Amino acid sequence: MKALQIVSYGEIKDSLVFNELSKPAVQSNDVLIEVKAAAINPIDKSIILGNLQGILPIPLPSTSAYDVSGIVLEKGDGVSNFEIGDLVYSRVPQEQMGTLAEYVAVDSAAVSKKPGNISFEEAASIPLAGLTAFQSLEAAGIKKDDRVLIHAGSGGVGSLAIQYAKAQGAFVYTTTSTTNLAWVKALGADRVIDYKTEDYMSIAKDVDIVLDTLGQNYSLESFEVVKQGGIVISVVGPLDEASAKMLGMSDYKLPEALAKASSDRKADYKFILMHPNGAHLNEIKSLIEDEKIKPIIDKVYPFSESVEAFTHLATGRAKGKIVVKVS
Amino acid sequence: MEDLIKKIKTRLILSPEAEEFLYSISKEKTLRKGEVLIRQGQVVKNTFFVSAGCLRSYCTDKNGKENTLLFAIKDWWISDYIAIHTDELATLTVECLTESKVIEFNAKELDGIHSLFPEFEPYQRHNLERHVVSLHRRILNQLQLSAADRYDLFLKQYPEIEQNTRNFHIASYLGITQQSLSRIRAEKVRK
Repeated sequence: MKALQIVSYGEIKDSLVFNELSKPAVQSNDVLIEVKAAAINPIDKSIILGNLQGILPIPLPSTSAYDVSGIVLEKGDGVSNFEIGDLVYSRVPQEQMGTLAEYVAVDSAAVSKKPGNISFEEAASIPLAGLTAFQSLEAAGIKKDDRVLIHAGSGGVGSLAIQYAKAQGAFVYTTTSTTNLAWVKALGADRVIDYKTEDYMSIAKDVDIVLDTLGQNYSLESFEVVKQGGIVISVVGPLDEASAKMLGMSDYKLPEALAKASSDRKADYKFILMHPNGAHLNEIKSLIEDEKIKPIIDKVYPFSESVEAFTHLATGRAKGKIVVKVS
Repeated sequence: MEDLIKKIKTRLILSPEAEEFLYSISKEKTLRKGEVLIRQGQVVKNTFFVSAGCLRSYCTDKNGKENTLLFAIKDWWISDYIAIHTDELATLTVECLTESKVIEFNAKELDGIHSLFPEFEPYQRHNLERHVVSLHRRILNQLQLSAADRYDLFLKQYPEIEQNTRNFHIASYLGITQQSLSRIRAEKVRK
């Protein structure tokens, strides 16, 4: 089968090569998916650039990407919840990375039937960003009438988080740039803050939840806008101690400034490590079928132009997800 | 099964032998919500009479989107008749939208019942005629009626079905977007 592989760390054009591989073998709990579409995410770019070698060592060559939609072609003996021919989507587990290929074997626990009202390309755009949004806001205990600040509303996670928060009945503040105001508003956000002309900290005050999708100074600033007893959830900021422990860093301590801000404000800080989860994708499926969540796609590339898809991702200017139509 | 036998008896005189034969080629099944009876791309052998519940047949297009062909409620038959009559693989998927009770028949044995019991011939022809009428009506409605009128007709044809179906099932049956369906519903409420 044809697969787009990372053969070295470095510049996108030098690191990605199409290779001919054998079809992956199916373990007892796996399904073999005939890939219809795959989506790429910022993490895929970071892996190629070699920025994650320290925390995510990947043997080279490795097939790229995590998000997939397609058709179940084979299944292991232990798989009872899927049948051959099922249309599915998944964010594949780390050790099964490689959705930019004609076939991928995936642990069925990470797989869900795909929403019936959207295309394969749209379905592939959902899993990683959708699970991140879902798991972050669930970890925050989001409920009706909560006031939530979601940073970077036009981003892959932000755009889905806005829709998920609205589906839960929350009041949503979000930040974006002037050019994205209209379409971010159309996602349902109650107050879209133009970070180029407005000071978000003077508008979103005493919110129940901050979803930090930007990191850097935004993680710390979150404690100036969250209310006492509220929670700051970060998907890119410093690790919290529980996540660090899970990654084997047992003597890790939260950066001092962040620990102090959290303690002064009496608001929690939680780092979310997105984990693949078929049951969560199934809940997202229902929300998509009821049009509570709509996929947002910037551009679909043919498989042969996968490298161009990464070059586009690297510009950081995509509005919505970048998808590769594999077959 | 008693319901179906009663229904058949309104159309023909059913001999004990024919009744026994019907029992011998059928199987009553209780199905969970979401259970799939026929899967697109697979061999189709059976046809189903619905005793209770609600089922849907749909075709997934090459982009992965589902298009609903029909819903089946109590006293309706459902299968993939394209596959049965052409010996092709299934074009359709048939799934339960609610917990359902069906009577499963081997389609070829049921079709051939008139060779053993000729009294079934007019009965089967009558069913086929009704099926053709309903399909032609569905095509003409699709060509001629507004989306709002098609929705009204749908509600008459499938009363109470809305509790068991998702909006996208109904929208894809009517050939409209989910937003259009929401708009039509909102307009109906305003009237």
